[in-house]
Amino acid sequence: MTTLTTGRGRGRILPPPVTGQELVLIGVIAALWLMLTLVTPSFGTAASLQPLLVRLAPVAVIAVGMTLVIVSGGIDISVAASLMVCSVVTAKLLVGTGLPMLPALLVSLALGGLLGAINGLLIVYGRVHAIIITFGTANLFQFIGLRIFDSQTVNNIPAAFAFLGRGEAGRTLGVPHSFLLMLLIVAAAWWYIRHMPSGRHFYAIGGDQRSARLAGIPVSRRIMSAYVLTGVLVGLAACMTLAGGTSTLDQNVGRGQELAVIAAVVIGGTSITGGRGSVLGSVLGALLVQTVRSGVTQLGWPSQLANLFVGLCIVIAVGTDLMRERRRAR
Amino acid sequence: MQTREETQPLLSLRDISKRFGGVRAIRHADLELRPGQVHAIVGENGAGKSTLIKILSGAEQLDTGTITLDGEAIGIRTPADAIERGIATVYQESQLFGELTVAENIFIGRELRRGPRVDWAEQNRHVVELLGRLDLPADIATRAVSTLSAAEQQQVSIAKALSRDARVLILDEPSAILTQAEIDVLFRAIRRLTDQGVAIIYISHRLDELFSIADVVTVMRDGRTLGTYDLAEMDVRRIAELMVGGEVLESSRDRRGTRGQPRLSLRGLGSSGRFHDIDLDVAPGEVVVLYGLIGSGVAEIASAVYGVDPITAGELILEGRRVRPRSPRHARSLGINLLPANRKAAGMFSFQPVAFNISVGNLRYFRRLAVWLDRDRERAAARGLIDRLAIKTPDERTHVGNLSGGNAQKVVLARQLVERPPVLVLAEPTQGVDIGAKEEIHRIIAELADAGTAVLVTSSDLGEAIRIADRLVVVREGTVFAEFPPHARQSEVLAAAAGERSGTDGGSAAQEEAPS
Repeated sequence: MTTLTTGRGRGRILPPPVTGQELVLIGVIAALWLMLTLVTPSFGTAASLQPLLVRLAPVAVIAVGMTLVIVSGGIDISVAASLMVCSVVTAKLLVGTGLPMLPALLVSLALGGLLGAINGLLIVYGRVHAIIITFGTANLFQFIGLRIFDSQTVNNIPAAFAFLGRGEAGRTLGVPHSFLLMLLIVAAAWWYIRHMPSGRHFYAIGGDQRSARLAGIPVSRRIMSAYVLTGVLVGLAACMTLAGGTSTLDQNVGRGQELAVIAAVVIGGTSITGGRGSVLGSVLGALLVQTVRSGVTQLGWPSQLANLFVGLCIVIAVGTDLMRERRRAR
Repeated sequence: MQTREETQPLLSLRDISKRFGGVRAIRHADLELRPGQVHAIVGENGAGKSTLIKILSGAEQLDTGTITLDGEAIGIRTPADAIERGIATVYQESQLFGELTVAENIFIGRELRRGPRVDWAEQNRHVVELLGRLDLPADIATRAVSTLSAAEQQQVSIAKALSRDARVLILDEPSAILTQAEIDVLFRAIRRLTDQGVAIIYISHRLDELFSIADVVTVMRDGRTLGTYDLAEMDVRRIAELMVGGEVLESSRDRRGTRGQPRLSLRGLGSSGRFHDIDLDVAPGEVVVLYGLIGSGVAEIASAVYGVDPITAGELILEGRRVRPRSPRHARSLGINLLPANRKAAGMFSFQPVAFNISVGNLRYFRRLAVWLDRDRERAAARGLIDRLAIKTPDERTHVGNLSGGNAQKVVLARQLVERPPVLVLAEPTQGVDIGAKEEIHRIIAELADAGTAVLVTSSDLGEAIRIADRLVVVREGTVFAEFPPHARQSEVLAAAAGERSGTDGGSAAQEEAPS
């Protein structure tokens, strides 16, 4: 009996590390990049790819947390508002105190974690669907953020986050640090959700919460941790956003990010009803969205076309998912 | 088997009672379970089987009585308690997680670890061994549960139950969703387990199969255990008689004279995988009841007539014309109205007032100038039906969700009666309603028939079927199995639906031909 497990290696014991949908995504992205490089030679250059990766990093980092949230059967639409709160607080702190990078980063992470904890607590103890709770907190966080902005842009932000920025200081061998940090987080999250017992629990909770509880899984704690983690990652994304921008910050920061993140997660093959999905897929989804946006810009097409293409991606991703489900249901 | 009498009981229940409010769900029940034995529990719906199981599995707690395991009195307070004592339950509804592998499902919540991570190899080794015990292929250990068939998933649930060293395994209607071939596989698995000394409690409505798997059977009726019988000394008819008791149910219907041409006829009607070769006539003024156990195909016949499930064979004749309902809307326009089974999922709009629930689906009738709703007429119709069906509601503006089950069911029924329907199909008309409402609904059904509606009822409630039927048709394994006149004996009908292998041996099919 043991020959079965040892004889055929790890691939037999675990589900495959990369699923079909992820391979399709990789293929689509590769094809897009190839096409764009051929059509607009400037696409393949560092000057074009570096900003793409810098813009990708915050979305992908939040998407990691969002994947856990959605896999466990929830959703968090307050991430854009949290992002605004974290960036404006951090920006004002930098302006006011001239804090160095690390303490400022910690403040942003802690603040994000706190906002995530508020979501988590309300969802676990309020027993109201996550979409309602986070819709409420999104408005609340937005109010807080706008109050802190006080109807003014934050100007002359010191370049404390240059290390994560889009300038020369933010790169090693031409690769943006924020992208490297993102890779690190994605790898850690991928390993966590695949190999740690608590990581596997998210799938069980999203599959059937009642059964998960009966199986002895600490459901409330896991759900809580998904929202806190998402909040912390939003805090990190806020710092990346600050670093990737100019020395001013206006009230539009983060606007629409929640939809960009959810789009990435859904395109990546995560089921919006929970129970299925992967971190790798979400990051690939984010990369696809960013590639489409960059591509449309570089081709000189009207920018609203990017929305059309992203919308199509979502429809195709959800459509193939549904078709697979229905085939299986037979 | 021959040592059954000598072996010490593994688990015994003595004088168990349990009340839910004013309802005595279990009264002084006794049960004795021996290792290596398959112990069947049978009884009609509401006899107390599931409550007894829930007490054993820790989902409910007993009021009085004792449970003894290995001669030692124990208390079972939570599902975890039961599992710890080695009492595992496989419920009808799966508690598996589709996207996780079989091995993961079995160890979820108590993963084996190597350092911080899951020890996949070790988990897998255990699971492969476990699957071997059930004679299942080792390679399903790493497959996602959602890719397995219902039967395979059930086996995985059994494996999961066993993985916690279960000595008592409770199977709650395991065969209801399985095909015959799958049932054979299940039985082989059960025999392997009993060979290993596991004691099995087997709940089933299908009496025939007990004879191929169980050693003894305990019959329950009205919350009592009537006794435990050796299956070698029983037959289907005797079990059925014990289940229903000696009580003779009066049919509420007195047959009137000739009914004339059938209004609705089913000719060789079939829907692939659901039912086949159904021939049936329903005349105006007649109540025809299709009675069958869950899984017999009875529910699907109603759905097909109403255009929900596809008709793949045969034809439906309505007043001499061949029709084929494509959708519920189409069925209604043809004059076939349906009261769906499970009103909560398919019948009522809980957050809407009574009047809305009655008028929805009849909006054309309430339309004024083809545009807006005639609210006065809607209100008047709702009030009229509230009176006629004796629906207990403060007024027609009350939300249906606030009414009792029986009254909510009457509201859903009222919707079908706004315009006097030529054909009314009722699926499980009194499921989950109290006894008073049940009688009233039966009275309404009789009145409708007397007023000339052709009524087709599908039911899994034997008493109801006998009480209201002008003709009672037993459906089994997807087709018509036997037909009974009014005043049929309960035990005969039950035996036909639940057990006797062919329609001829009891003679019940041959004995009654519809008067033609």
